[in-house]
This record gives sequence, structure tokens and C-alpha cells, in this order.
Amino acid sequence: MSEPIEPQTPAEPEVPTGPYVYDYAASPQRQVVLPKTVPLPSLKTYRAEVVAQQAADEAKWQKMQADYETAKAKAEAEGKEAPKPPVKPVPRKDDNDMKTPWPQEAKAPDLLRLQELLGDKVEEVFEQAGELTCQVRKEALHEALRLCRDDASLKYEMLADQTGTHYPAAKDFAFSLVYQLTSISRRKRLRVRILVPEGFEPESACSLYPGANWMERETYDMLGIRFKDHPDMTRILCPEDWEGYPLRKEYPTVGWGQRDIDLREDRGGVLMRIAMEKAGQMGINLKQPQAD
Amino acid sequence: MFKNEEMEINLGPQHPSTHGVLRVKLRLDGETVVKCTPIIGYLHRGVEKICENKTFFQGQVWTDRMDYVAAISNNLGWAEGVEKLFGIEVPRRARYIRTMLTEMNRLASHLLWLATHALDIGAMTVFLYTFREREYLLDLFEAFCGARLTTTAFRIGGLREDLPPGFIKQAQAFQDIFLDCMEEYETLLSENRIWKKRTVGVAKINAEDCIALGITGPVLRAAGVPYDIRKAFPSAAYAEMDFEIPTRPEADTYARYLVRLAEMRQSHRIIQQCIDGLPEGPVMAKIPKILKSEVNEVYHSIEAPKGELGYYFVGEKGGTTPYRMHVRAPSFVNMQALSKMVEGRLLADVIAAIGTLDVVLGEIDR
Repeated sequence: MSEPIEPQTPAEPEVPTGPYVYDYAASPQRQVVLPKTVPLPSLKTYRAEVVAQQAADEAKWQKMQADYETAKAKAEAEGKEAPKPPVKPVPRKDDNDMKTPWPQEAKAPDLLRLQELLGDKVEEVFEQAGELTCQVRKEALHEALRLCRDDASLKYEMLADQTGTHYPAAKDFAFSLVYQLTSISRRKRLRVRILVPEGFEPESACSLYPGANWMERETYDMLGIRFKDHPDMTRILCPEDWEGYPLRKEYPTVGWGQRDIDLREDRGGVLMRIAMEKAGQMGINLKQPQAD
Repeated sequence: MFKNEEMEINLGPQHPSTHGVLRVKLRLDGETVVKCTPIIGYLHRGVEKICENKTFFQGQVWTDRMDYVAAISNNLGWAEGVEKLFGIEVPRRARYIRTMLTEMNRLASHLLWLATHALDIGAMTVFLYTFREREYLLDLFEAFCGARLTTTAFRIGGLREDLPPGFIKQAQAFQDIFLDCMEEYETLLSENRIWKKRTVGVAKINAEDCIALGITGPVLRAAGVPYDIRKAFPSAAYAEMDFEIPTRPEADTYARYLVRLAEMRQSHRIIQQCIDGLPEGPVMAKIPKILKSEVNEVYHSIEAPKGELGYYFVGEKGGTTPYRMHVRAPSFVNMQALSKMVEGRLLADVIAAIGTLDVVLGEIDR
């Protein structure tokens, strides 16, 4: 016969003391690793990288040759067999069906036309993967879009998409904003891009392309870029009282801005208990707020 | 005794005819809509943020959950977008099978649209007829990839598997009956007096407004603009297919109904061409097990059943996940037309307008 089992009582969840705070940094699930590079596609950067790579390869080859010379001289002096001469390394060829699209010089007439019309307001034009990109100064966005829409040789009637990317590692800008334009009559596409720093308010494209209304609201909602002269600059996908901008790189995938349980509606106290337990597990200090 | 004031009512977010969790704030003067404000975001799951933390192979699973009635179209957009980012050439047989499945999915999506749109307006019978054929298509998807709705049908670089044995035979059996079924739907609706009264001249939006608002798909084509991405920027095997772009000049709900029905006949034609001309060969390109991207950005769009579905990718050097992924959802952009369509019209037309836009809230909110 076994011993009778003692009746067990569930342990009371420990109520943390202290002020009512969300300590995001405390939880290991909420750590964010910020990107260290700025993956902004650009012909200038690509060319600089290629030149640097070639210089590095050349320096490596020179060093290999110099090493060989010294080794050979040393071997001769000691009367040993001479070492093998170095072989120039050739880039490895992968046996697959991939052909990486690198940025190329702009040859499309539309890009050249834009460059001619806008002059030094164009920062960069290039082609990549068969797509045309025109990067303009952030103040000249409206002018560039107007030209794209109205110029007889461009005629991009439709704004297909508008979005942005966050680059926390970049020094003189924080976001890139892209406008994907489509010409229905001529069957062509163009991407207009601007780089904006934190806090800069680019001009809204709504007066040119009314469809930009919701797209810019989404950009504001997700990245926190406000647009000047926008008819209704409010959040669209997240609730109005949401904290933070989810598509920024410092925004964690868990937590931040998650809606709190409304404890005033919790009459039975069930939600409160669950919240306390969860908060305790996640290392969050959650004290019951005092009733007014 | 009689008060003359405007009233504000909410349509949704749990109303069955809003096709999901769409809330429409309506300001009414009697039965006339004065102002219409669609409010979205109830189904927001942050797919773009999630995909930034998933590899290129894993992310495709999330595209099924956006437009859940046309998952294969979403898969096609994702797969081709990633292939463009990496410069992958897909074998011809894989492209044919992709085209065939995408067109079948267009049929399934349009059948669901027809069913629910007619149901909203009050024609219950069509629902039973269209779902019969939709089941057939879903069974074909299940035979191909094991899932009926959340298909994840394609892989980066081609297909995971070739078509299962007997698939072509079953698809041909479907092809043989489908045109007769189409005639059944048309008998029920096309000349139906109630249907015409509810749709002719309702929810008009002209071509200029469509282009200004960025509206694509059948709504644009019913306004007389022959813009179809399958023709304008062909991908998969659409360049080798022989089909037409149906358009109508009327730009009303009835015209959109006719355009979508004509599109279904064109899809039927494309599927037949894929079955007849299916080339032999491999279905998967040679690609490494782990894809590492270079610094690059691409915007790739396809013609989904609802309109232009675009994927925007930014790749970082050596990255196995997209640095940034953005979806240009057709329903999201098309939804902006709702206010223009219904303001100044009757409350009952709002239901017809939501139905004719063919929105899926999973795609709007992402």
C-alpha cells in the first residue's frame, strides 16, 4: 500500500511589486538585432565595391607572388627543392541556373529623358533586373512624379505601389521611399526613389495620383513617415492608439505595441490572473493599477 | 413632426455581406448614402514583418493566407518575385504547369465571387451551382499539392513535384463539362430581371477614376481599359498562350459580371492550351539549397483574379531572408473605389458594390 497523496494547492502567482511598466529589454524574446549594412541598391555603390574587390584581389595576388619569391630564394639558399609557383585564383563558377542581376548603366530612353528634364535634381539612374530606377532629391519628388505623369514621352498614368524601407545603419538618411509607376498605354514601368532622413515630411502624391491616399497612410502606419498635404494622415491597418511603427527594424517581432488587456472590463478577475502569470513568466513587472 | 437629419450607421465588421471583417461607416440621408468610409485593419497580422524573418522558402507559406481564395496566384507572385531577385530561370514545363494551376485558381476565385455576389444580391441558387465546380477544382489542387486552399503550390525555381498520374485526365474531364456549367450560370443570371435591376447602372466608376486611383483587374477592364498584366508584362508561360482581354464600356456592376464571366471562358482556353501543349522536361531549376541574395530590389506583379498583385523585395548581401518585403494587394487598392462608387446612391447598392469589387479582407489587411 502506498502512502496517501497529500492534497496539493496550486501556488499563488507572485504579484510583482513596483510601478506599472513594460520592460521590453528584460525579455530575451524581445531582443532585436539591428542590421549593420545598408542594402540600398545603387550603381555607384556597386561600382565602388567592384573596384575595391578588384584592388583587393590584385593585392592578394601580388602578395602571393612576393611570398613565392621569398620562399624560392630561401629554398635556393638552403639547397632545397623550389616550391610550386602560385596559380592566379579564378572566380568559382557555380553550376546552377542563377544569373545574379547586377546594377547596370541606364540606357532606357525614359531614364535619360528624366535626367535631361530634371538636371541635377536626379541623384542616380540605373537599371537592375530589367527594372528602371530613378533616384531623385527628396525635395524634387513632386516635380519628378508630375513629369512622369504628364510628359508626352513618359506618360506613367498609374501609381501601382508606394512603399518604403527602413535603413537604420545608414548615416545621412533613414528611409528609402519607392513609387512604382506603370504606363498602361505604353506597357512600361518605372521606379522613382527618394531617400529621407528621420522626421522629414515628403510631399504627398495624392494630388497627382489619388490612389496614393491609402498607400501613404500604410507607409505612415508601418514606418512612421508623415506626408505633407495628405488629406487624412491617420493609421490605417493598426489601431489608432498603437505604439511604434511595426516595419521599422528596431521593432521586435514579439510584443511591443501589443494591446494590453483592459482590466476594467475584467469583472471576474480571470484575465487579470492570466495576465499576471504571463507577465511573471516573461519577466515583466505588471502591477495591478489602482482603481480611480 | 418629421425630422430631416443625417444618420450614421456601421455596416460590419461582422456583416456577412462584407466578405470578411470590413467595417463601412455610412452617413445616410434617408436611404441615400452621403458619405462612405471603409475602415480596415481588423485582420492585420503583419505578414510583411513576419516574412522579413523567414527565409525565401518559408515566406511563401504566408502568401497563402493573404488572398485565401486565390492562394496559387499569390504563390506565383512570390515565387516569380524571388526568382527575379535571384535571376533564376525556370524550366518550361514548370512554367506551363504554373500557368495551368494559376488559371484554375482564377476559375475557383471567380466562381466563389459569383456565388457570394449573387447571394448578397439575393440569388441563392447560383451559389449551389458554382460551388459544385469549385469543389472539382479544389480536388484537383489537393491531388497536386495535398491542400485545397492553403496550397503553397510552387517552389523557388519550379515545382516540388511533377503532376501526379491521372491529373491531366481529370483536368480534361473538368474542361469538358465546364463550358456547359458556365451556360447554366448565365441562364440563371444574365437575363434575370431582378439581377439586371440590381446591377445595371449600379456602382459606376469610369476609366479615368480607375486609373487615377490605381484600380486594376476586372473593375478596370469593365471600364473599357484593356489592361491585363498577363499581356502587358507576361510572366510564367502567358507569352506563349493565345487569349483575349475581355472589356466592356459600361463600367457598372453588370459589366463587371460580364467581364468576369468572359474571363472565365478565357481561363478555360488557357488551361486547354496548357494541357494540349504541355512540354516534357524537368520541373525544377538547378539552384543551391540555401539562397543568399545580393543587394537588389525588385517589384514583380502578376494578374491575380482581383487585379495587380505586386511583390516588392529588397535583398541584402548574403541574406537568406528578404531585407524588406511588401505586398501590393489588389483588394487594398481597389477598396478605395468604394466611396466613389456608392456616394449618392442607395444603401442597398453598397452591398452590390462590395460584392462587385471582389475584395478579400485577408489580402487587404495582410
